[in-house]
Amino acid sequence: MRGPAAAAALCLAAAVALHAAIDRWPAPAVDTPGLLYVRSPEAARRAALSYRGIAADVYWIRALQHFGSERLAGPGHVKDYSLLYPLLDLATTLDPYFSIAYRFGSIFLGEPYPGGPGRPDLAIALLKKGLAAQPAKWQYMQDLGFVYYWHLHDYHAAAEAFQRASEMPGAPNWMRPLAAVTLAEGGHRNASRALWTELAKSEEPWLRDSAVLRLAQLDAMDTMEAWKRAKDQGLNLPIPNDPSGTPFVLNPATGGIIVSPQSKLYPLPGQLEPPR
Amino acid sequence: MTAAIRTRELSKDYLVGFWRPRPYRALDRLSIDVAPGDVFGFLGPNGAGKTTTLKLLMQLVFPTSGEAEILGRPLGDVSIRRRIGYLPENPYFYDHLTAEELLDYYGRLFGQSAADRRQRVGKTLDRLGIGAERRLPLRKFSKGMLQRVGLAQALLNDPEVVFLDEPMSGLDPLGRRDVRALILELRDQGRTIFFSSHILSDAEALCTRVAIVAKGRLAASGTLTDLKEFAIQGWELVMAGVPPEALERVRARARRVVTIGGDRYAIDLPPDGRPEELLRELTAAGATPVSLNPVRETLEDVFVRRVAEMGEGARS
Amino acid sequence: MNAIGPVAAAVFRESVRDKVFYNLVLFGVLLVGASIVIGQLTAGQDVKIIKDLGLAATSLFGLFIAIFIGINLVSKEVERRSVYPLLAKPITRPQFIAGKYAGLLLTLLVNLAVMTVALYTVLYFLARGIPAPIQGAWDAPALDPALLKAVAMIFLELAVVTAVALFFSTYSSPMLSAIFTLGVYVVGQFNAELKRFDAIVDSPAAIAVAKACYYVLPDFSRFDVKLAVVHGVPVPGAFMAASAAYAAAYVAALLFGAMVIFARRDFK
Repeated sequence: MRGPAAAAALCLAAAVALHAAIDRWPAPAVDTPGLLYVRSPEAARRAALSYRGIAADVYWIRALQHFGSERLAGPGHVKDYSLLYPLLDLATTLDPYFSIAYRFGSIFLGEPYPGGPGRPDLAIALLKKGLAAQPAKWQYMQDLGFVYYWHLHDYHAAAEAFQRASEMPGAPNWMRPLAAVTLAEGGHRNASRALWTELAKSEEPWLRDSAVLRLAQLDAMDTMEAWKRAKDQGLNLPIPNDPSGTPFVLNPATGGIIVSPQSKLYPLPGQLEPPR
Repeated sequence: MTAAIRTRELSKDYLVGFWRPRPYRALDRLSIDVAPGDVFGFLGPNGAGKTTTLKLLMQLVFPTSGEAEILGRPLGDVSIRRRIGYLPENPYFYDHLTAEELLDYYGRLFGQSAADRRQRVGKTLDRLGIGAERRLPLRKFSKGMLQRVGLAQALLNDPEVVFLDEPMSGLDPLGRRDVRALILELRDQGRTIFFSSHILSDAEALCTRVAIVAKGRLAASGTLTDLKEFAIQGWELVMAGVPPEALERVRARARRVVTIGGDRYAIDLPPDGRPEELLRELTAAGATPVSLNPVRETLEDVFVRRVAEMGEGARS
Repeated sequence: MNAIGPVAAAVFRESVRDKVFYNLVLFGVLLVGASIVIGQLTAGQDVKIIKDLGLAATSLFGLFIAIFIGINLVSKEVERRSVYPLLAKPITRPQFIAGKYAGLLLTLLVNLAVMTVALYTVLYFLARGIPAPIQGAWDAPALDPALLKAVAMIFLELAVVTAVALFFSTYSSPMLSAIFTLGVYVVGQFNAELKRFDAIVDSPAAIAVAKACYYVLPDFSRFDVKLAVVHGVPVPGAFMAASAAYAAAYVAALLFGAMVIFARRDFK
């Protein structure tokens, strides 16, 4: 039976070669948000039958991939984070206890463009959903406070959230003073520094990294103001390096220095008031 | 003395047809008695209702009307199954079990102890001529060997009554001879044998009594000698190498002589044609005997004639 | 009574020789492969995801075994007529049904046991080398004994599915039995939704039918404690006991139903 065997091998080789050849022509791009599979979280929940845990994991992985690829994409690509919230919403509907999904969402949904979608309202919605499933989870309440504080500058709401978090079982000791500081000093840089310093102790590595970056940014802002004050008093100090090692650049508009666009710390958080 | 097997007006209707099912009478008011120690031949053409009767007795199907007893107990008495054996037609077992494992499985159902099973299984397989194959999975068995395994499982529990549905089916002449010897051996051991067949010569060699069924009805029953149906109507003697001069003598005595290729002849003699004499003469003249068989009516012919004799009205 | 044991043993033996346990190889490959690959993808969620995957695969593979062996349990014997010499032995038809069921249950039990061991092994290697403080922050430990509760509930669920498959096998062809059994399983997963039908549909008749179906059909979603176990949410013993009783009630109903159907069946 050598004839059919040879024919089979030949046809397989042809298929492989054809595949390699037509790979160069991608399939026509269809304008649907990629790979959600199912749009509605309720539909996903029903479709997953009793395999919700693993389905949630799939959406979580997709969320990470989506966020990471958008964030790291080169300058020619217009960043579009529109899938981040839907994917996290799906993951958390399928698995209401999926704490990392809530917390990741809380940090990065609020991130202003181009670092993130700039949607603190979605971050709040996600966290409230998490609290509905687990009302005593202090980490979600803390994250809620963080979103109010950092992205929405609603210091009263932030302080209230920190206060409620501090009353939940298992909340760490620094919650209560944090609430107090937030209330007292609002947008004060020291309050922010206190918040970020605590977050830098988190067990989640990406949260730690974010916090360290924020602290470096706060240090940079301190340096910028100190340099400007010195210049206003007539001292022309040389332009220093920012905490990430990249030199500051002159800001023609203010006469002061600003973080260079090449720096890892760029862009700085916008409207923090100088110390009173 | 209680009959080993008794049926009274046993009937079975099947419903045929999908839209308006109508009853099809597979067995019509069968009444037979089998005495203990009988070798009872249950004969009939294919589709006569033989297998249906056996299935009714084994409670694989349930009677539409009528009753039956085995060893004095009604059908449905599970305890009776310890004392009987059953070989279905064209038996099939399990792909993955070996012959030994199958018998061991059935032995456990009989409640035999492990040691008892080991001994019985070995002995039964030996008796049925299954040697090293007993450790092969059953899916590798030929039809003839499956038949032997079927017989083995029917005899595993030393049954008092043995039911065999077409026991010769699938066997070569050597196998058929073995089974015949086995049945006679079982008879000598005092067991009752009830077997069905569509081959008349099987009954001849073995049975004390027979019943003939066709189209679901009993056509005749009694001992072999009672039934005129089995009277010999002629002989067929096949000889090879008959010298030409002897052939002339043969043509004088025979009703017909047919040449079967070469120098082989089929000689059709009348019932009183003394075939053994002719055999001796032709052998002395240098011919070789091939076979000598009595010629009888076929079972279908028997039934058709019986029904015609009794008239249409008698059995409706 | 002692006819059930040999029948069960025969079913188990046939399943083993029919190479049903090869699915374990696939299971092992899946778990090990996933654990190697996912490290890059999941931001530290490896243990959770392997637990999710392991439990989901255990449930799914078990489901296939329950259905595909279950639908053949009776119908194959009847079709091949190996049931003839069997029922001529001192065994009643109900004992035959019970023995078939017990044999498949045993097969499932062995299968699940091996899968559980494989899962714990993979989790052990996955968690090795991760420092204690990080492990302390997890919802549940890597080698969490509560996983056994999830597996036990999977077993209960499969016990009911097997009984459904066996029930259909007593009178349907394998193909139809597979479709019906799968259908019952899927509807059973959605069962909880039927209770809330009044939120979706207006017709009172439909709502009444839905409520009736909710109570009569098995609610398979109550056997799913995978999410709770993976996230360290406690599963009370009382809940497990109640679920076991629930499963037992359905299994008994289905087995008795199968026995009734099988009892008066003519084997043509």
